[in-house]
Amino acid sequence: MSSEPDPSANRAGSWGAAFLTTFTTVFLAELGDKTQLAALLLSAQSGRPVVVFVGASLALISSSLVGVLLGRWLAKVMPPQQLERLAGILMVALGLWLGRQAVLGLVPSPSDLPLS
Amino acid sequence: MPFALLASTFATVFLAELGDKTQLAIVTISGTSTRPGAVFAGSSAALVLASLLGAAAGGSLSAVIPTNALQLAASVGFLVIGARLIQRSSSPEAEESSAD
Repeated sequence: MSSEPDPSANRAGSWGAAFLTTFTTVFLAELGDKTQLAALLLSAQSGRPVVVFVGASLALISSSLVGVLLGRWLAKVMPPQQLERLAGILMVALGLWLGRQAVLGLVPSPSDLPLS
Repeated sequence: MPFALLASTFATVFLAELGDKTQLAIVTISGTSTRPGAVFAGSSAALVLASLLGAAAGGSLSAVIPTNALQLAASVGFLVIGARLIQRSSSPEAEESSAD
């Protein structure tokens, strides 16, 4: 274990940090996501969970590829500082929207309407 | 391998994901990260693992996993990332911040 961080460790470190940040955020958001569960439930009842899993994984990998490519394209066409600010605002908005949904879900609403 | 079921699951999940908040987060994180490969690996692994749990647990997943608590935790994650991005975008470009 080298004491001072040599460049390769630093590069690996920041790859790991990016991986972990994305993994945790997306995993938490996705696991709590009812729409995705509904889609899976629909197919899971077909009694072929393996096929469902393969289909869903291929779809998810392609959709995250689309997301990453879109992000890279934005990074090319937009000035970095402006992209960062917009990205930050979007993430905060998503966080607030997600938090509101979660809180609404936790607090049993009297009318108990299924909030979409 | 029943192709029809595979294709219908692929279409259902792909369309459900398109424009979903998770994908917006992936676009945002990858657009502001110097490590798009890591972002792709992280998001794919997370999505596949979440769908593995979904497919395996079937109907019982929501009973097993407190989805609301998870969404609350996810929202905190989004807020932290968003706040850091805004803070970094307002700080002068002088200091070379290593975008994670």
